[in-house]
Amino acid sequence: MLSFARFVLVRAVMAMITLVIVSLVVFSLMELVPGDCAERYLAFKNTQGSGISVADIEAERQRLGLDKPFLQRWGTWIVNAFQGEFGDSCILRVNIAQLLGSKFWLSLGVCLASLALAYLIAIPVGIISAASNNAFLNNSLRLVSYLGLAMPNFLLALLIMLVSTIWFGETLTGLFSKEFRDAPWGWPKFVDLIKHAWLPIFILGWSATAFALQTVRALMSDEIGKLYVTAAAARGVHGRRLLWRYPAKHALGPIINSLGFDLNRIFNELPIVALILTLTEAGALLIEALARSNDQQLAGAIIFLLTASIVTLNFVTDVALAIIDPRVRKSIMR
Amino acid sequence: MTDQTTDLTLQDQKSKEAYFTASQRQLIWARFKKQRAAMIAAMVLVVLIVSGIFAPFLSPYDPTIAGRDKDYTNGAPQIPQFCDKNGCTIRPFIHAVERERSMATNFRWVTKINEDKRIHLTFLPKGDSYKLFGFIPGSRHLFGAEEGKIHLFGTDEDGQDIFSRTLHAIWTSLKVGSIGVFIAFVLALIIGGVAGYYGGWIDGVIQMVTDAVRTVPAIPLFMAVAAFMPPEMTAEARFFYISLILGLIGWPTLARRVRTHLLTERNQEYVLAAQLCGASSSHVIRRHLLPSFTSYIIVDLVISFPYMVLSETALSFIGLGLKDPVSSLGVMLQKATSADVMLNYQWYFIPVIFFIALVMAFVFVGDGLRDAADPYSDTNK
Repeated sequence: MLSFARFVLVRAVMAMITLVIVSLVVFSLMELVPGDCAERYLAFKNTQGSGISVADIEAERQRLGLDKPFLQRWGTWIVNAFQGEFGDSCILRVNIAQLLGSKFWLSLGVCLASLALAYLIAIPVGIISAASNNAFLNNSLRLVSYLGLAMPNFLLALLIMLVSTIWFGETLTGLFSKEFRDAPWGWPKFVDLIKHAWLPIFILGWSATAFALQTVRALMSDEIGKLYVTAAAARGVHGRRLLWRYPAKHALGPIINSLGFDLNRIFNELPIVALILTLTEAGALLIEALARSNDQQLAGAIIFLLTASIVTLNFVTDVALAIIDPRVRKSIMR
Repeated sequence: MTDQTTDLTLQDQKSKEAYFTASQRQLIWARFKKQRAAMIAAMVLVVLIVSGIFAPFLSPYDPTIAGRDKDYTNGAPQIPQFCDKNGCTIRPFIHAVERERSMATNFRWVTKINEDKRIHLTFLPKGDSYKLFGFIPGSRHLFGAEEGKIHLFGTDEDGQDIFSRTLHAIWTSLKVGSIGVFIAFVLALIIGGVAGYYGGWIDGVIQMVTDAVRTVPAIPLFMAVAAFMPPEMTAEARFFYISLILGLIGWPTLARRVRTHLLTERNQEYVLAAQLCGASSSHVIRRHLLPSFTSYIIVDLVISFPYMVLSETALSFIGLGLKDPVSSLGVMLQKATSADVMLNYQWYFIPVIFFIALVMAFVFVGDGLRDAADPYSDTNK
């Protein structure tokens, strides 16, 4: 038990280190954006009619702490970031944690739901296709997987929009109906969310499903050929029982391990799909921050949060794998 | 009779000899040829690449605003035909279109096809001047129309020919992908090479950083970097900047593979054998290590190519990538999200088919090459 605790601790520390490196990358990128928050804010004020001098910019810089050296500012940023505090947005002048708050959780929920959907489809279908010799089934699955690769989610989203506007005459956009957008959370709002969210969940899960299908199938067909499966079959275990109890268990490890990267892939598509479907969540906010208002504070915070959730998932899967898989557990307990 | 058998054994021996003395490239090619899907994909890919390279010649008009047809904006695709209600001809033709705006059309521009007037297609007409490969000047195009213009895939809201733009966009994607892959490859070779060659704690640190960079979702990161571009940048500068970003962010996966290749190959028995025979380390690297993994690296490059193309498309689509004078799928799709386009001008989406074909072809060829480059793939089956 002690060694298990040590394992968890080591993993947690490693996750922290990864996050620190990531934060350095993200923070340096934010620094590289030409102009800083003080200039941008005061430029905005300038357009509102109040005259701005160089001294004002300097004062604003001092107020925001932008005159301090790079490393010191990074230090404060990362310490605050770990406490969920990202300061104020450059342009909107609102606290970022407040601004993002529920929107980020909403995005994360949608992404996790599409990840779950991907594996709900991929695991049974992948196992069946690996076990069967049906050439038609296998070839069509292969085609679907490749299509998932070749047709990025945003193209799929566009095409679905195209079809729905032509045939149904309505666009399936947004996450909430008008009357629920600003309503407090409750059961009716949740039902409304489900009514709208299935499309983004499906679209975001699309290429993840294709990838997962390929992974599951490849892993299973590797395992099915192995001797222990033949031995089990010789002992009279057969059918579904054979598949689920022997090779499927072995194939589970690598699949759990790859969950983090699947989430990464889904996050990749999130902002663009959000733009097309006009979702109002963190992905759309990220595009807003980058493409329109050049808001480095907000963009940095979102990228950091996305990465942090991937790192967290990686940590959770590592620990889960150690609990589930006796081989990993043994190697830790040594 | 005996002659025949000796002939057969001779042939047999020859083919065996050919097999054992074949270079790695020949072996990979032989295995690759056996895969039908990959071969078809390779042909599609060659066709697409050729049409991308010769885009200025194959496309009837200039893809930029210079080649616009101001009398046929948002025009529907015109399909060349041989027959109509007035009989058939040998030369393909299209029907002339007339535009009118009057009380009857509610003061909107409405195009009407005049079915009695034929416009024949011409072969190798003189048209907009271009520079093939960037330096061979020319003004002949493969086809055109004798009067007015022909738009196979229709036109967009500025009257630019979508067919011409599609061909040029394929070329743009190939260019962006190649430059991006090249930059990523050089970085990967250096970083992965150092990690794989030195091993130990250097490897550990590099792996840690690479893994950390890999956990950041790439496209949001692309967006963040691309947002630095000053809007007044020229189209060419933008183009190189985007390729550079793709390369700079695409290296970690490749670097990891280079490192793994190096680490496994370095400990192979044939390397040990060569060392025991007294080969110098430069000889080992040159004659044994490099040939052993060039094919793998080429495969990795082909596999990572479509991701570069797709990332560029995504970036351009949200307006952070290439901008209008450059034809690229993302740029062309920017205008396609409006409900007006979706309801009335669906031909905006025709280029999508070509891009799916391009990416699919790359993926299939990459997979086929990977199987072909794996010396154990035969024994498994």
